[in-house]
Amino acid sequence: MWRVGVDVGGTFTDLFAWHEGSNERRTAKVLTTKHDRSEGVIGAVIDAEIPFSEIGTLVHGTTTATNALIERSYPDAALVTTDGFRDVLEIGRMHREFLYRPYQTKPKPLIRRRYRFTVSERLSAEGETVRPLDPEAARAVAARIAATGIRSVAVCFINSYVSSRHERQMRDILREAIPDAEVICSGDLRPVFREHGRFTTAAIAACMMPVMHDYFDQLEHRLADNGFAGRLLILKSNGGMMSSRFARQHPEELIESGPAGGVAYAAHLCRSTGFRDILHTDVGGTSFDTSILPDGEPLVTRQYELEWDVPVMVPMLDIHSVGAGGGSIAWVDDGGSLRVGPRSAGSEPGPACYGRGGTEPTVTDANLLLGRLNPSLSGKFTLDTAAAERAVQKIADAMGMSLLEAAEGIVRIGCETMAHAVKATISGRGRDPRDFVLASFGGAGPMHACFVAQALSIPKVVVPAYAGVASAFGATALDVRHDLEAFHYTPVATADPQRIETLLGALEEEGRDRLAADGIAPDRMRFARSAQMRYMGQTYEVTVPLPDGGPLDDVGLERLGNDFHEAHRIEYGVSSDDFSPEVVSLGVAAIGVISRPTDSAATPSGSKANGKTRRVFFDGVWHDTDVYDGDAMGAGSDVSGPAIIEYTHAVAVLPPGSGGAVDHEQNLIVTLA
Amino acid sequence: MSQTITAETGLTAAPDQVDPVTFEVLRSLFDYAAMRMSSILQRSSFSQILADNVDFSNAIYDSELRLLAQAANCPVHLAAMHFSARAVADKFGLDRLEEGDIVVVNDPYSGGTHVNDLTFMMPIIHEGRRIAFAVSRGHWMDLGGGAAGGLAGSTHVAAEGLRLPPLKIFRAGKPNEDVFDVLLANSRTPQFIRGDLQAHLGALRGAEREMQRAAERYGSDLLLAAMRQLIAYTERISRKGIEAMPDGTYEAEDWADTDGQTDDPVKVKLAITVQGSDITVDFTGSDRAVAGAINSPVANTAAAVYYALQFFVGPDAPPNAGMFAPIKIVLPDDCWLNAKWPMPVVNCTCITAGKVAAAVWQALAKAIPDRIIAPTFADANWFMATVTTNTGTTLFTDILSGGWGGTPFNDGMSVTMDPLGNCLNTPAESAELMHRIVYERFDLLQDSGGAGQHRGGLGSAFEVQFLGVGTLGIETSRTRSGSPGVHGGATSPAQRMLRVGSAGAQVIGGLTPDGDWKNPISGTHAFNAGEVFRFEATGGGGWGDPLDRDTAAVLDDVLDEYISREAAREQYGVVLSADGVSVDEKATASRRAQLKAERNSEHA
Repeated sequence: MWRVGVDVGGTFTDLFAWHEGSNERRTAKVLTTKHDRSEGVIGAVIDAEIPFSEIGTLVHGTTTATNALIERSYPDAALVTTDGFRDVLEIGRMHREFLYRPYQTKPKPLIRRRYRFTVSERLSAEGETVRPLDPEAARAVAARIAATGIRSVAVCFINSYVSSRHERQMRDILREAIPDAEVICSGDLRPVFREHGRFTTAAIAACMMPVMHDYFDQLEHRLADNGFAGRLLILKSNGGMMSSRFARQHPEELIESGPAGGVAYAAHLCRSTGFRDILHTDVGGTSFDTSILPDGEPLVTRQYELEWDVPVMVPMLDIHSVGAGGGSIAWVDDGGSLRVGPRSAGSEPGPACYGRGGTEPTVTDANLLLGRLNPSLSGKFTLDTAAAERAVQKIADAMGMSLLEAAEGIVRIGCETMAHAVKATISGRGRDPRDFVLASFGGAGPMHACFVAQALSIPKVVVPAYAGVASAFGATALDVRHDLEAFHYTPVATADPQRIETLLGALEEEGRDRLAADGIAPDRMRFARSAQMRYMGQTYEVTVPLPDGGPLDDVGLERLGNDFHEAHRIEYGVSSDDFSPEVVSLGVAAIGVISRPTDSAATPSGSKANGKTRRVFFDGVWHDTDVYDGDAMGAGSDVSGPAIIEYTHAVAVLPPGSGGAVDHEQNLIVTLA
Repeated sequence: MSQTITAETGLTAAPDQVDPVTFEVLRSLFDYAAMRMSSILQRSSFSQILADNVDFSNAIYDSELRLLAQAANCPVHLAAMHFSARAVADKFGLDRLEEGDIVVVNDPYSGGTHVNDLTFMMPIIHEGRRIAFAVSRGHWMDLGGGAAGGLAGSTHVAAEGLRLPPLKIFRAGKPNEDVFDVLLANSRTPQFIRGDLQAHLGALRGAEREMQRAAERYGSDLLLAAMRQLIAYTERISRKGIEAMPDGTYEAEDWADTDGQTDDPVKVKLAITVQGSDITVDFTGSDRAVAGAINSPVANTAAAVYYALQFFVGPDAPPNAGMFAPIKIVLPDDCWLNAKWPMPVVNCTCITAGKVAAAVWQALAKAIPDRIIAPTFADANWFMATVTTNTGTTLFTDILSGGWGGTPFNDGMSVTMDPLGNCLNTPAESAELMHRIVYERFDLLQDSGGAGQHRGGLGSAFEVQFLGVGTLGIETSRTRSGSPGVHGGATSPAQRMLRVGSAGAQVIGGLTPDGDWKNPISGTHAFNAGEVFRFEATGGGGWGDPLDRDTAAVLDDVLDEYISREAAREQYGVVLSADGVSVDEKATASRRAQLKAERNSEHA
């Protein structure tokens, strides 16, 4: 049977398939069908000539939810909240994105004010009833929502992280009035403290539910119509998978569903190449995504923001995105400095060289002029060099540079922007970029990877065999994963290990149930425990893994305290025994381990496949440069820079002085001078 | 007699020595170092005002103590900080600060603003050479004085809390425990002192690590050259921005409601002269020094001028010393905006800076009418309160933002921290976890934005119930009338504060229903257990004639209850259909004509 990964991106839908019996692999890249993205998924499978009936598992990553959220293109949802708190979604935390811009605006609220309703009710911070839910008021609100025709409601009450009993009462009243309503209770969805993050998360779930229902309906119907009878799994933001049935209930977990595949590929590389600390970088047309995998494990964040001041309180892969990619536009600012991005030409009109009406100079135009990009892009369509010249010449004139100096400057600054994003990710963790190996993903990734690495003084780069369809490949290499959390406040000094053990046990039990529902056998289940901790008196927490090895006891507690001091020191550069550690909440990651593509792919034996050369501009001069066919390069073959390596779905550029060697999995390992 | 404040950098004509690419790389690295400081300080600090409210600012200075990069925190801190830094240099001499020394200062007359804002400054040394300074300024909960947070309604700075002239709190990396002890002995909240100190230390070290790493990679010569180039570059952008304004002199006035001691309003008067690429802001004609605590030290007044101008001179320029360089400030000697010891000043950041900035914008409205926006609510409405039960007394704090003014392109932002800061509110759930109080309300206040073609953003309504006896001091103004509009836009309603108890609601600050006016800042306000403090923050001023507002936008505002049906009819001349879901175009046309006619007859 085939295991198929499909990633639906903004421009392309990518596929990677692996046959569990023969170990055969296939790839496909088709245009994303924006009117109904499920059509592109089907198209990709057909393009790869894989019979639907022979697909055992289809793993799917999608940015459908993220796009709909950012564009606010979803059916209206409603919000019911405590009297006095109608505008939490709109006020946010009150701060602005740009310190000095006079005309800035705030993000549009996820739910319009006219559909935000309040009722009289109140719990205290200790969970005691200050005011019971007023049933009359609640029924009146339910009737008003029913009259609007809205079928998706978030119920968000103050202090519901302690107890969601009032929210559930409201939910029941809503369901009486609107039997087919989807109702999300914020305290059940994510019992995290500080109302703003919990409310936005519940609102996101309520807004996305109808969109994702429709999407999964269409996808499942189309798959069934084509004879698919396998298991459908969905990539989620925490770097795991879930069943589509679960995904329908938790659309708030789909926000990083796209980039998560790339991170999974990076984790796979850690296992297959033996590099322990990998830096994941993914370059698309408009954005650059990066994250780190110290010791082969992706980092997970709890501080994600969808856009300015719109937090999503779901553990997510700690992926940092900036507006830098092939389509990023170069410009000269008022002070006469050359800048690149964050504005992008996108896929429409695209870079000037695409010949679709773009006139502004982009990184892709610069790469073309430098000879790094083949004008007859994989033979599919021809790039317009003259248009690229005209665009880049504008920068050259403004900066008083030659055309090629300007082009090389544009690429370098674009790569520096990416390097800066990497630094923001890595240094924030108290780590040094030079300890990492840079792994390059995405269609435009390997073209820039070596320069990004040089800017970071990173000596080694991995260009994976399937860099051009990275997220789809990664989707086939993922585990099922559920992150569960319980609020439990206790100073470590007076903590009751048994109580903690009981709470963790309950979370593991819930995780076991969810994994079983996803079809995971008991012997493939794994559980990882963690605690959110801080010094008594602080407001923010640091995640600390709980010691393994049996039930928590006093010794384990003491170790937990020490581990926290160390985690605090790594995160903030300071720690002190003057302060007492405390636990705020407990977490369990429930993981279902999936079998993966084996390492022993049949690789071709050729090395220097096509023997072509091309002039490429590096460091101010033209170099005669060998061009290789990446797909035909077998294990053990090597190249020395300058070199261009063309793959079906990507191009790698190796600068002078570098050298590359192909490993047993057809990954190209580049060593920089 | 008057005093002129200039901020030349000595770098105006500095040649570009660093290639454009490396320059851009280092520019973003400096930004990152400052941003990293803020992230460490917020997430590791102990007091609510730093961790929840983010009432702090962080910056990197170059080796000669010129502002180089800053995180997007409080403009009123950021522009005032370099006065503190200069005071440190004057006392110790730059060359005598060693690696690991950290100087703390909060003295309002040594470049500080109010004593609650502590500035920490540390030289960054690479291979024996001073390459930069890290500076971290935070608002501390309490440093003593006559009332919590220093909000005592005092007439002497000594009643506002402990004054620290520049002194070394770390010497060569070793803590000066004597200073710690003085701080611990003088605060109502000693439990936060060590933790917040550790957080500031973490922030300074974070910057040190980044800058040393950069020096190692690029060499300190190149690094310093890039710093000089960056400051010159910002000055170039700023001068271009000023050149885009027509030469001339533009005057404006604004008012603080009271100094807290008398009920008389206090006047800001200024004249902005634009000449080529230079700007002079002259405060001649502003009121003399006052008895109450709204006097503003030089650093604070200058900071307000700098940040107000920055919005229209070079909003996207890298914020550094170059942006101050073209600006000259003239301050009369006897002036409330030029405070000297021992004048009380605690309200200067939240009340006075906002009024100075609002006056600057109103003067600019005459220089660049097509680009200016209407004034914001121009206060922070920051309060510090205590609540006492049998388990003890705790201090809690929040910032009750109003709205920003309408702009030429869109409506103003609702409930957003005034330009003077960029703080966050206190989450209800955070406040209730730590204090015996119930947050009853923080939502948008209908009809609180000034009407206009582009309306002012809305202000807020806030209510908190005390579960024990309490006191509350607040920094607020705009309680006689709200934020002025521009180009025919309306003024927003006045702010006010109330005490709500079993006997009903009573205005304790601002205009009463009988037309009296209660002084909101004469001292602290007392609350009994069960009583509620309510505050109504105003929105921004309107931009343009409300009768020109798109009727569909007015309908949307009514449907979303941003404005009432009455306001739609009376202020915008928009009449809705009987069912309230569409505009009655015919009735609207005649209503608008009628309002215009009434206006004309008033003028005649």
